[in-house]
Amino acid sequence: MTLIAGSDPEASRAKGGASRWTTRRVWSLAGAAVLVAVVWAFYAWNGAQTTAVLSGTVRAATLLVLGAMCGMIGERSGIVNIGIEGQFLMSAFAAFTIASISGSLFLGVVAGVSTGLAMGWMLAAMAVGLRTDQIIAGTVLNIAALGLTSFFYDRGRSLGQLKYQAIELGPLADLPVVGTALFNRPPLTYLALILVIVLHVLLLRSVWGMRTTAIGEHPGAAATVGIDVIRLRYLNVTLAGGLAGLGGAYLALEAVGTFTRAMSGGRGFLALAVMIFGRRTPLGAYAAALFFGFTTALQNQFQLNDTFDIPAQFVGMLPFVVTIIVVAAAGLFGRMRDPAALGQPYEVR
Amino acid sequence: MTAFNKRFAIVFAVLAIFAAACTGSDEPAATTAAAPATTAPAEAPADDMDDAEPFKIGLVTDTGKVDDKSFNQSAWEGAQEAAAALGVEANYIETEEAKDYDNNIGLFVEDGANVIITVGFGLGDATIAAAQANPDIFFIGVDQFQGEALPNLAGLIFPEDQSGFLAGALAGMLTETNIVGAVLGTDLVPPVVAFKEGWEHGARYTNPDVETISTYHPGGLDVAFGDPDWGAATARQALDQGADIIFGAGGATGNGALIEIASQDGAFCVGVDTDQWNTVPEAQPCLVTSAMKLITPGVADLVAQAASGDFAGGNYLGEVGLAPFHDFDDIVTDDMRATLDDVLAGLNAGEIDTGWPPG
Repeated sequence: MTLIAGSDPEASRAKGGASRWTTRRVWSLAGAAVLVAVVWAFYAWNGAQTTAVLSGTVRAATLLVLGAMCGMIGERSGIVNIGIEGQFLMSAFAAFTIASISGSLFLGVVAGVSTGLAMGWMLAAMAVGLRTDQIIAGTVLNIAALGLTSFFYDRGRSLGQLKYQAIELGPLADLPVVGTALFNRPPLTYLALILVIVLHVLLLRSVWGMRTTAIGEHPGAAATVGIDVIRLRYLNVTLAGGLAGLGGAYLALEAVGTFTRAMSGGRGFLALAVMIFGRRTPLGAYAAALFFGFTTALQNQFQLNDTFDIPAQFVGMLPFVVTIIVVAAAGLFGRMRDPAALGQPYEVR
Repeated sequence: MTAFNKRFAIVFAVLAIFAAACTGSDEPAATTAAAPATTAPAEAPADDMDDAEPFKIGLVTDTGKVDDKSFNQSAWEGAQEAAAALGVEANYIETEEAKDYDNNIGLFVEDGANVIITVGFGLGDATIAAAQANPDIFFIGVDQFQGEALPNLAGLIFPEDQSGFLAGALAGMLTETNIVGAVLGTDLVPPVVAFKEGWEHGARYTNPDVETISTYHPGGLDVAFGDPDWGAATARQALDQGADIIFGAGGATGNGALIEIASQDGAFCVGVDTDQWNTVPEAQPCLVTSAMKLITPGVADLVAQAASGDFAGGNYLGEVGLAPFHDFDDIVTDDMRATLDDVLAGLNAGEIDTGWPPG
């Protein structure tokens, strides 16, 4: 099976008519222009605070988008993954422990990603191989991760060095507005940004992406053209686990710099909301993750400034309200739908 | 085939739940246990001589963990210290969710505990109810202010505002940007608010030009003290807008803030509750001091009172202070130390307004 596409003209042409897209493009561009103008105005008003909020936004979005990408690869293949939280937690634990023992952050990341792959494989083994109910399989991962990491957590252990530090990308980091937020980040954030773009192209343009969509929409039809549905589902869910594993490593070694029990704090579930909000595309999910991250940073800023008398919780609530509205509106108007075979085990006949 | 699948899933789930349950109570809850049970009565105080049962100490944590490197851990160490002194054993139960407070206290009641320590403001109501229902058992409520005194319930409380004020006074003298920050647990817990008010008033007391920027975790009691990622991100946000000394107060959430500040050259951080130099070594590059509540001796003292039968209900005022400056000993000048001494004297004399309680 070829996984990386050569250019496949059939695949590119399959992307809907051009006319419907132009109106949407115009609206998107207009929205983006307004956004840039608003951000620029705030930057002119108070540069330090605007930079702080934007940096906080990018920072909070990184973990969410990694989890969302893990979820979307699974869902596009027909497998629901509600075990992202457990995958984060277990990988964070492995990354922290190995980095602490070996003294190498890089080995920690390798351990985190490997653990994520192993967790992904376990989900695949239950959901694809054994055709267990997928919700139960994901729940098993969550409970197992919480139990095992709590059990083996050694509270005396510390990283013994600084966590991943920001790397300035030369002159880019001196750009106004986005310089610090995008180009003075620690390494795993850059890696996540690259992965978002690469995965977006792969999922929407490559043979692998098309096949993934096929086994999520109509696995029977995919099988008749020679796609090994079981094998591809195994592969995808396992690889997706690697993304969650990277998220766990990011959490332990770059965002926080230590491990604490249950430190993922529900972000694995939030990632699912981000995924749906972002219509199961990596760039969409990144936009959604930035929105979620922005509300977190904004509610902090409201408190730090102590000027607005809006309860911080109200701002914190916004992404959830918007998600509900988006999902409900999408359902009402039929603009967005789940992959047809989502949640259904596939049996080879 | 289907039957096999279900069985596989069930077995796995049961194993997982078992692993989770183990960590909750049984396994690591093993204890000081210096003396085996048979020898315990010899060392036990004379008061329970007619009772062969050893004195039993139980501790219920808040939703933070007993190894949170902060206040649950300090209380647990106090219980262990008291247990070692009495030659008996202490056990703990970690609360996973706020709805389990009553059940967890009930487990120790059924187990025949003589003294039950509940750690945290959140357990206050559950502790009062249990103390009223079980007049024979002594209860110690850490951080639980007692409105009406019960004879068998002592609330171990601290003047957190004074502790925060001392730390804030130091911060006001150390800051060069004149911006001091605080990353805090939740304003649902009054002691956290007291720390914040004291910290801000202290900073302004020694440095009238200072700007104070403070943030509470927006979540509920279940997550506010266990979210190091939020703590770290928020600390960074405060650093990015010029804060150069930040107070991290809120369990693992605050610890996340401390570790983040350690990455910033020239910035200081201040820990909370215990000397976090020892409990969060990752923060040593920035940790100038900690605003301490001496929970461990307070708990140990109250347990000893309970064991001797000389137990006073109501509120027990514990002590506060600043932790040693460790690596930053040279940075804190003699002038600053003199000012801190004056502040401490003023606080003790009640001459300084810490901003708490409000009004």
